[in-house]
Amino acid sequence: MLSPERLALPDYEYLAQRHVLTYMEDAVCQLLENKEDISQYGIARFFTEYFNSVCQGTHILFREFSFIQATPHNRASFLRAFWRCFRTVGKNGDLLTMREYHCLLQLLCPDFPLELTQKAARIVLMDDAMDCLMSFSDFLFAFQIQFYYSEFLESVAAIYQDLLSGKNPNTVIVPTSSSGQHRQRPTSGEASMLEGVEAPLFYQCLENLCDRHKYSCPPPALVKEVLSNVQRLTFYGFLVALSKHHINQALGALPDKGDLMHDPALDEELERL
Amino acid sequence: MDVLPVPLPSAKMAAVEKRRLPVAQAANFTGSGRSGVSRAAATAESEEDFLRQVGVTEMLRAALLKVLEARPEEPIAFLAHYFENMDLRSPANGGAGEPPGQLLLQQQRLGRALWHLRLAHHSQRTAFNNNVGVAYECLSARGRKKKPGLDGRTYSELLKRICRDGEAPEEVVAPLLRKIQCRDHEAVPLAVFRAGMLTCFVLLEFVARAGALYRLLEDPGLAVADRHVGQAVLDTLEGALQASDDTTPARYLEAGSRLGPDSLALAMDRALVAQRPSAPMTREEFLEKAAALFIAKVKPVG
Repeated sequence: MLSPERLALPDYEYLAQRHVLTYMEDAVCQLLENKEDISQYGIARFFTEYFNSVCQGTHILFREFSFIQATPHNRASFLRAFWRCFRTVGKNGDLLTMREYHCLLQLLCPDFPLELTQKAARIVLMDDAMDCLMSFSDFLFAFQIQFYYSEFLESVAAIYQDLLSGKNPNTVIVPTSSSGQHRQRPTSGEASMLEGVEAPLFYQCLENLCDRHKYSCPPPALVKEVLSNVQRLTFYGFLVALSKHHINQALGALPDKGDLMHDPALDEELERL
Repeated sequence: MDVLPVPLPSAKMAAVEKRRLPVAQAANFTGSGRSGVSRAAATAESEEDFLRQVGVTEMLRAALLKVLEARPEEPIAFLAHYFENMDLRSPANGGAGEPPGQLLLQQQRLGRALWHLRLAHHSQRTAFNNNVGVAYECLSARGRKKKPGLDGRTYSELLKRICRDGEAPEEVVAPLLRKIQCRDHEAVPLAVFRAGMLTCFVLLEFVARAGALYRLLEDPGLAVADRHVGQAVLDTLEGALQASDDTTPARYLEAGSRLGPDSLALAMDRALVAQRPSAPMTREEFLEKAAALFIAKVKPVG
């Protein structure tokens, strides 16, 4: 939500916050692709329908992956569309494999990358036995953070690896008289005995990450909550905790787990058929 | 905030072109690389022209200015409402003021109608009539205009366009157009439209065949025909057409026989034998006269 400060922002920043130019460019592309049909109802009407569909979140249906992931709103709309289209999978209690979920995703986005689905599945399955079956709600919530926070998670993974191998990204490197040794805690022996990384340190790194980068990050308060409950945690442990925590409300795309099967608007439409 | 940075629309267009160019280039990759790129560039250029002609560039610029002026909390919803209002204010919906690019949309509608009309040959009467019906609807539907229908001006434009595409010289078809055109603001009913379309296409075919006939008559070296031979052919044609005034089968047979190789050959022979010196007959003259024979039989739109 834009704050009243939006009135004071310079033009480009204001437009960038809501990705206005992204959508205008896309509208023109769509117009060019459909220019044979436009004569029927006019250009103003075309743009009306385009921007309305952006508002309603239906604009991402059957579009290419590069467009779907272009803005946070697009990602949230896609998540929502996926939920609404396939929630009956959850209703019947079916368990599907990663490949089957991927097929469902491809119905909505033909070039959706398998890699992303795999990463989402890894969160549910804790990077173990990738052929296992998953419930709809487990997959959906894992997929939510994997897809919405793709870039953030990649950075987190890198930070985690660094911490595991003993490199502390926060360390200040002070050149000493001897051959440039890093001032770090001795690691290799100790860390291999314990699983994962220390939560407080991990949190520090993530806090810096959220400060430094412009792409979407989960609310820092949320991250802090997740990390304050444990002493140590693994990468996937962190992601699972994040996906199950109140991240839903932060994103506003999906309902809470209890309401997952509940979609009165869609039910009404289906009744009419 | 006062001045919108000038390069904005062209930057947008450049971004649009950038996204489309790689697609075009990828498609041409296996073919001739350089011509592929220039073809892609030409496509991008024509797209930019299209956008400017239909007024999209101006439209988006105005919209963007409005957004920056109002700084709404939800700019996308704002844009949706903005274009909705613009649509409501267009003449198609009873409002005043011409939306930009109306002329180009008209051209597109004509193009589509033409496409329908060309799907079946005019001799395939049922199919042709069906297509005429579809074309008529295509031209009559003008958004949410209160009175749908085809106006004389569009009808005339279509006729001219058909003749132009059929490569019939203007002087040849002008008399026909004069006969069957309607006044600009007159409503053209389907029956008139159908008759007009049929006449037009038949005339075009007639002219094409007359042209082929002329090629047979013309002296390959001089590219002109002997006047008398030409005239003889035309007279024969005229005679055949007159014979078909009466629509009894016998008359058709008579007309057919007059145009048959025997009668025609005889007529040409007689002309050649006469051998009076005269100015040659050009192709244009031949076509004009031939067309005139046909057009004479066309009933003017009353």
